[in-house]
Amino acid sequence: MDPIILVLILVSAIIGGILASLGVHLLPVGGAPAAMATATGVATGCVMLMTGSAVTGLFTASAVASFWEFEHANIALVALSGGVGAMLMIGWTMLIANLLYVFGAGIVPVSGRVAVDPITKESQTEYKTPRTDGHGMPNVSYISGMIGGFVGGFGGALIYVTLENFAHFSPATAGIVAIGIFIANAILAAYNIGGTIEGFHDPKFKERIAVGLFAAFVVSLLCGILVVVAVEIFPSLGLGGAL
Amino acid sequence: MGEEEKAEEKPEEKEKFTLHFPNENNLAIIAVIAGVIVSILPVLPAFVKGIGAILVILWGADSVRKTARYGLGTGVPSIGVLAMGYGIVGGVTGIVIGSVPALGGGGIVEPGVLVGVAAVGVVGYISGILANNEKFIGMKIPGLERGMAELGMAGALAVIIESSMIAGTWNAAVVIPEIIENGLIALIFILAAFGMLQPYNSCLGADERRGRTLLVSVEIGGLNCIILGVLASLIQGMAQGVPLIALGAITWVLFYSAYVRACLNEAHSVVGTGLIKTMR
Repeated sequence: MDPIILVLILVSAIIGGILASLGVHLLPVGGAPAAMATATGVATGCVMLMTGSAVTGLFTASAVASFWEFEHANIALVALSGGVGAMLMIGWTMLIANLLYVFGAGIVPVSGRVAVDPITKESQTEYKTPRTDGHGMPNVSYISGMIGGFVGGFGGALIYVTLENFAHFSPATAGIVAIGIFIANAILAAYNIGGTIEGFHDPKFKERIAVGLFAAFVVSLLCGILVVVAVEIFPSLGLGGAL
Repeated sequence: MGEEEKAEEKPEEKEKFTLHFPNENNLAIIAVIAGVIVSILPVLPAFVKGIGAILVILWGADSVRKTARYGLGTGVPSIGVLAMGYGIVGGVTGIVIGSVPALGGGGIVEPGVLVGVAAVGVVGYISGILANNEKFIGMKIPGLERGMAELGMAGALAVIIESSMIAGTWNAAVVIPEIIENGLIALIFILAAFGMLQPYNSCLGADERRGRTLLVSVEIGGLNCIILGVLASLIQGMAQGVPLIALGAITWVLFYSAYVRACLNEAHSVVGTGLIKTMR
């Protein structure tokens, strides 16, 4: 296959993987403490949140990609639609979680890591229950989570659409390979966060993001090389059709 | 009421259900040998491949136990899903490389598929270094590098073996339309991931014992074989599918009852809620 296309596939796998990692770092992840409303974030792990939203993103992306039947799909549009799908999913998750926290547990969404919401400038500290680490999704975490969902979904859909367009993978193969690369990156990012994070205003974010993105770069490079090898070899089998 | 009496009459000696699993290194060697033989000889009948799949999943579960014991921060399932994420990438690459005729694709012995398995092992090792080294993520888990390499390889072997159990071969010409295009690969993904992550996830705690945890893995391997057997009998015919279902059913019944017996024996006391009839 044309070397430019192989490089393009490799680059898109790397960019997609790095965006996936960045997306995970931006989500408000509460983990087990959030299940008792004693930490800010959604009450589940990074992997569940990111995989849930990215798979939704892949669904919307593949639905949009199916409009181009006989020509190359528009990469920007498909990747953007993946981002929007993931954003919707994470947005609904955070909204419903907030409803449960506010009307079910009777607490105010409040950040535990900053005294003043950096976006709305609302004061946080006096609303925080003593000895907890915040509750629910305050405005800044919500916005950070939406950005995270968008970035992650965009990355996943970018891997998908490049594999489908240029490597001529079938939609199913492109989807499952994109999920494979995505999950490996999302989990390494989750290990980097080590449990809980509130969003981009969390001090942990600045501290750890560089390492997380570097790890994502290396892992996506290696996974991308494996995929490129498969793409390069497949046409030589003479099977016809798409991988 | 009855609880105290039962707790008192407990000190009868506990016979532990002892199925002597080989130690971690030997189990890895046995599983690799079985997995390699089964994956390079796709002509073997499906139930022999089923034994290979059970052993590979057992190896993955042992690796999960080994690494997740120190606390990952994000829950045990994450590392099992990571194994299958790598497994999908490595498995698909291995399937394509193995189908090249120059590497024995289409012959009786098809060793090319192992390239994908080895490559994903390297990827796993490097990601283990990234995760463990203090300069990078710094998780400080002893043996995480080896654990991640083993998990990647176990995941790739599981994808390859389970695909060939359903389709009869893992040749790209067959697997791509029969397994990947119709989405069965997602089923393989979650079945094998459950075999690896569920045992330690459900058994972890202060009194966790390796022999007991691994019984769950073999049991889930049996369940895998039953489900894959149903698919194999739809795709390849009854002659392949029925022995696989029988193998799965026997394994499941044996190991599930062994696990329940082990739990009842090793528990301090077992009291019924009255909702379900207790076993003793």
